[in-house]
Amino acid sequence: MAFSAVSEKYSGKMRALEIGVGDKKAVVGGQASMPFCSFDSDLPNKPIIAMEVYDVVDPEWPAAVVDPFKDVISDPVAWAKKNVEEYGAKMICLQLASTDPNGENRDAAYAADLTKKVAAAISVPLMVWGSGNVEKDAEVLPKICEACEGMNLLIGPAVEENYKKIAAAALGYGHAVVSQSPIDVNMAKQMNILISNLGLPLEKIIMEPSTGALGYGVEYTYSVMERISLAALSQNDDKMQCPIISDLGKECWKAREVKLTDKEEPSFGPDMEKRGVLWEAMTAVDMLLSGTNLLIMRNPHAVKLTEEIIDEMM
Amino acid sequence: MPEPVHRVTFMPDDITVDVFRHGETLLRVAMAAGVHINASCGGNGTCGKCKVIVDRGLVESKPSAKLSDEQWEQGYRLACLTKVMGDLVVTIPPESRIDNAALKARTGGKRHILKARDLNTLVQGLTVDPAVWKLYLELPPPTPDDNLSDLGRLMRELKRRHGLDGISTDFRLLTRIARLLRDADWQVTVTLVYNPKGLKLIDVEPGDTTERNFSIIIDVGTTTVKGQLLDLRECRVAAAGKDCDDDEEANLLAEDARYNSQVRFGEDVISRIVHSQKGDGLRELQQAVVGDINEIIRALLGQSGIDRENLSHMVVAGNTTMTQLLLGIDPKYIREDPYVPTANFFPPVRGIDIGLNLPEHVHLYTFPLVSSYVGGDIVAGILGSGIFQREDLTLFIDVGTNGEIVLGNCDWLVCTSCSAGPAFEGGGVKHGMRATRGAIEQVRINPETFEPMVITIGNRKPLGICGSGLIDAVAEMLITGIVEPNGKFNRGLGTDRIRETEGAWEYLLVPAAEADGVGDIVITEGDLDNLIRTKGAIYAGCRILLESVGMTFAELDRLIIAGGFGQFINLERAVTIGLLPEIPVDKFMFVGNGALLGARLVSFSREMMRDARRVSDMMTNIELANNMRFMDEYVAALFLPHTDTNAFPEVMKLIHPDPAT
Repeated sequence: MAFSAVSEKYSGKMRALEIGVGDKKAVVGGQASMPFCSFDSDLPNKPIIAMEVYDVVDPEWPAAVVDPFKDVISDPVAWAKKNVEEYGAKMICLQLASTDPNGENRDAAYAADLTKKVAAAISVPLMVWGSGNVEKDAEVLPKICEACEGMNLLIGPAVEENYKKIAAAALGYGHAVVSQSPIDVNMAKQMNILISNLGLPLEKIIMEPSTGALGYGVEYTYSVMERISLAALSQNDDKMQCPIISDLGKECWKAREVKLTDKEEPSFGPDMEKRGVLWEAMTAVDMLLSGTNLLIMRNPHAVKLTEEIIDEMM
Repeated sequence: MPEPVHRVTFMPDDITVDVFRHGETLLRVAMAAGVHINASCGGNGTCGKCKVIVDRGLVESKPSAKLSDEQWEQGYRLACLTKVMGDLVVTIPPESRIDNAALKARTGGKRHILKARDLNTLVQGLTVDPAVWKLYLELPPPTPDDNLSDLGRLMRELKRRHGLDGISTDFRLLTRIARLLRDADWQVTVTLVYNPKGLKLIDVEPGDTTERNFSIIIDVGTTTVKGQLLDLRECRVAAAGKDCDDDEEANLLAEDARYNSQVRFGEDVISRIVHSQKGDGLRELQQAVVGDINEIIRALLGQSGIDRENLSHMVVAGNTTMTQLLLGIDPKYIREDPYVPTANFFPPVRGIDIGLNLPEHVHLYTFPLVSSYVGGDIVAGILGSGIFQREDLTLFIDVGTNGEIVLGNCDWLVCTSCSAGPAFEGGGVKHGMRATRGAIEQVRINPETFEPMVITIGNRKPLGICGSGLIDAVAEMLITGIVEPNGKFNRGLGTDRIRETEGAWEYLLVPAAEADGVGDIVITEGDLDNLIRTKGAIYAGCRILLESVGMTFAELDRLIIAGGFGQFINLERAVTIGLLPEIPVDKFMFVGNGALLGARLVSFSREMMRDARRVSDMMTNIELANNMRFMDEYVAALFLPHTDTNAFPEVMKLIHPDPAT
């Protein structure tokens, strides 16, 4: 008797999210199977890695993520160009750390201006990430939406405390939104309901269910994301069928294991760069296996390694 | 369903409703019909906003300073002061109504407001045969030929006249019986009590007092203690408090109630148990609740004019911790893994032994317990609602500080308990109160002006809001977009009823000028959080209990809800906020206070005492504390109506998208 492979058919399907317009457009999501299960269903869009660009760099950063950008580290526009032209970034994530009121507290007008410049300088889609201060993000991100009208940027993170202003601006000026929630499958869904109640269609939402780095809660993120995927696919829960994004670069590069020198912890060995790159790539692979569609990463070698793994698995 | 006595047509919307009570106020009729009339004073005639024009028909109405002579001539009346005495046609003038087709579409159709049912409709084959009863005896005095002892003489007569045998005797009685019999000239009334071990003679009184045989029943709740005085001879409620004197039906189930004064040692059972472990804590807690019960006894005797000496029996239903604290039994191990109570069945206790102000012969019957977190109040509720007699698959939900849930029928019962919080009893809510006079119990909100229509218990000036009012208010706020599904106010609606006070957001329900000296009555975001947690825990508990036996809400034949919300509960509204599941409304039943219902049955029928024991034995307890799925279901339920919107398709149709955008 001939062998016939068992194939899992799901009733639901993830939505595909478009980021950017024209020749700067990328599509993520749209799969009708669990991650990399190409034998169950077509995987229409490869997971994409967006490379980070910061407008201000924390002096605590390890050398492994400073050295590759040494020449451009104080010029976000040049950094973004370098990421695309030299490191082959398929998307840029502009991290507006300088707008944090507990830091440099730069204003919304500056952020909007910088975003326009970065967008103009690169040939790939752009995502813009606020400082994480809920009040300030509610001020800065809508300004960026307005200044970049029609560019279909990906804007975030929108959280329960500030989603209204951010989602309303995204809706008004034609952008997509990152819906971020504490690490819980129901809370992720609740955020999607709240944002879509404002009139922003679920087709314009990507979920960030809070990312924990390897050794820092990666297993929680893994199971929450897997459950989101299962609810979307097997239960056909339309509020859960938004693609998933993982903001992992900043989580990985603040891990103790990445920052310690071999003097402080001899058993870790002297190669801090390799250790950090593997830490970030390993976290990325975990996220990919549990269903992410879009990764935000920092180190060019980690990005390259992860992309090779994606290509092998597809 | 009773027959309607009158019909009222509201113009210009042309909505006709049946009226079931002669003399019902027009405002209540309008509320029940979903016809919006502005009203903010609770229905006591002071705000003057509920002006209507009686076009045709017979009414009885009081004049008001809010109506000019000219208006009175034109047929203007205040709906809250106007009683329906015949079929009517009433016009709601523009100043009292809202001109809104959407509202009409939304509120059209039949409303399902359930009043607390009486026990007769629930329990089958109840034999009236009280556990404590009196018999009048005329004894032949002793003679040289008939020199039987005094007690023997009593027993002989009981056997000879009434066929009663094997009766034990309360020792204390013996110390005074000899003198008593002779002083009474051998004409006495004896009081007998039935308990699981047989019959016991507990009292002898001179003369014939069989007319006067009363029992007190008490529901000892974590937040509220309630009592009723029963007439055992006629098997009726003799005194039940005077909170709802405008409505006979409500009167039956309104109790003399007060907050459990143990509250000062902590709001929930856990903090009470913690307190009981400190120094004199156990005694303090016992004395606090005994004091409350003594106050209730005094109030009930006062209301009914009955002498304390005529009390014969007392029945107490409480959760496990409350039962143990009342009896002075150390509750320490209730909260320690593996969570076991000291006993499931407590022997009858003499009331005076625990400090109750009762005649010395009065014993306390305490309802048997199931587990540490499913107590005698639930056994009483199951007994009272008759679930254990029927084949119908029933889910019983008792909403108290702890939400207890029972699923099953005459063959099997499973139960669980979840920590819900006191929101529906008025606790943890800024202007929350028990369902007594002046409590806002019904609320409608105009979706265009966001003006509320409120009715209070007793049509008094509002003092606060009770559980049923809170359910109504939150459901209305959700439907009108005042509150978002995450329980936060929509700050962009452009109404000054939604405002920020001292850093917290709130909705102004009744301004200070129309409230009864309590300042502005508001609902805060903190209140909403508490309510959402309470309803979330209960709904999640139901889902887990059903799941544990592989069932869903759809398979239920009947859902019985008990609790101290108020006189009634509006089912659609309870479904709207996700407290109850979206199943056909005719499956719902509201029994009010389940514990008192069961306690009445046990007082009136000794048969039921045996059944109580059987119910307690039948129940299998499912512990949520170590259930991995509970937390998940709970978080899913912390949303209005629920994160699983597919489970509430009709509610989702009601909730409009955000009007600000």
